[in-house]
Amino acid sequence: MTAFLRVMGAVAGKDLRTELRSRELLPSLAQFVILALLIANFGFDVGQAGSAVIAPGVLWLALVFAGLVAFGRTFAAERDQGSLESLLLTPANRAAIFLGKALAAAILLLACEVVLVPGLALFFGTPVASPTLVGALALATVGMAALGCLFAALAAQTRARELLLPVLALPLWIPFVVVGGRAVQIAMGAPGAGGPALGLLLDFDILFVVVASLAARFVLDD
Amino acid sequence: MTRPLSIAAGLATIAMAAAGAMIFLYAPRDALEGEPQRIFYLHVSAAIAAYVAFALVLAGGVVYLWTESAAADRLARVSAEVGLLFTTITLVMGSLWAKPIWGAYWTWDARLTSTLVLWMMYAAYLLVRRIAAPGRQAARFAAVVGIIAFIDVPIVHFSVDWWRTQHPQSVINAPGGPALPPEMLITFAVTALAVLLLTGVLIAVRYRIEALREQVAGLIEEAEAA
Repeated sequence: MTAFLRVMGAVAGKDLRTELRSRELLPSLAQFVILALLIANFGFDVGQAGSAVIAPGVLWLALVFAGLVAFGRTFAAERDQGSLESLLLTPANRAAIFLGKALAAAILLLACEVVLVPGLALFFGTPVASPTLVGALALATVGMAALGCLFAALAAQTRARELLLPVLALPLWIPFVVVGGRAVQIAMGAPGAGGPALGLLLDFDILFVVVASLAARFVLDD
Repeated sequence: MTRPLSIAAGLATIAMAAAGAMIFLYAPRDALEGEPQRIFYLHVSAAIAAYVAFALVLAGGVVYLWTESAAADRLARVSAEVGLLFTTITLVMGSLWAKPIWGAYWTWDARLTSTLVLWMMYAAYLLVRRIAAPGRQAARFAAVVGIIAFIDVPIVHFSVDWWRTQHPQSVINAPGGPALPPEMLITFAVTALAVLLLTGVLIAVRYRIEALREQVAGLIEEAEAA
């Protein structure tokens, strides 16, 4: 178990260190989400009254597409440099390698949310510091990273990988968008309690992290 | 086609024709919904057929990952195609029913949403088969997608249901016995059996075509090597 966690930590640390040194993904992701807010503003003709209605949708659209970019990069970069094969030549547990990469990708997406949520508050005037909103985003990010990285690993090994990832990941993310979307709507003033939504998101996380790490062996074994 | 398969195909044709006749001639006109209610028979039967086919995709995928059996992978592949066909029929017929009854072709109800997601996931399954390198990689990746898709669909259904729902509740499985007159129930049973027979025949025919195709590919490879 400690060996498993050590491998996971080492892989996640390697990915985060690479990102810190190259500073490729995070600045572009941050710019991407701000641009998404800009486009949503003009696409929707946001008035003061309407912003609370559309803000949750804008948040999830920006988040889902930023997630596709972030998760797609995690395995594409390994693939381009041929380092995925050498990573898989080590006797390390496949599930540990996979979870390490998913953890790093989840942290990158969380960092992107740190830009997105205040941006939304600034441009759309929505509340930010709600525990329901922060909890829903954090919980949804974990499960989306598990599924997203599994299919990013799969897609990276095929031709036309940019094509395959959204088609695979988006339908599977729908439970997170439905329940997380509800939680964000509640956090932004819709009637209802956020607690059950957060509990459901946690259940989904546990299920999909387990399923994805079991499946990782078959996706990372060529 | 082999002889038993030809006989089964003939039986499926007769059964489908009989089901069609019963739907329009034998089943009574619904007092509330009128003629559109007749869509129900084929709509629900096609949905059941799709679930059966996708359960075969799941079973084939699990067996393939376990044993790497080419036959299990072939079964999963052809069942996904047939399941997608019946999901399409379910969605189209459901929309046609919804327009006169609900006043709109589509609502974001739990069943409708999860059926649409089901359709998209198995369309993605077939896309993976097409894009991945043929052989072991395609079979493995598709098996993973097939298994996770099967887990995800009830969760989509549940999460939207938790949110809101509009689709009619089950009339066959209703508490206190089926909430249908006997003529409707018999018509439904005949249609469901006919559609299931048709599903089995379609899967068997596609399976045989794929097996022969693989055999031909193997022979060509052998001939080129020699």
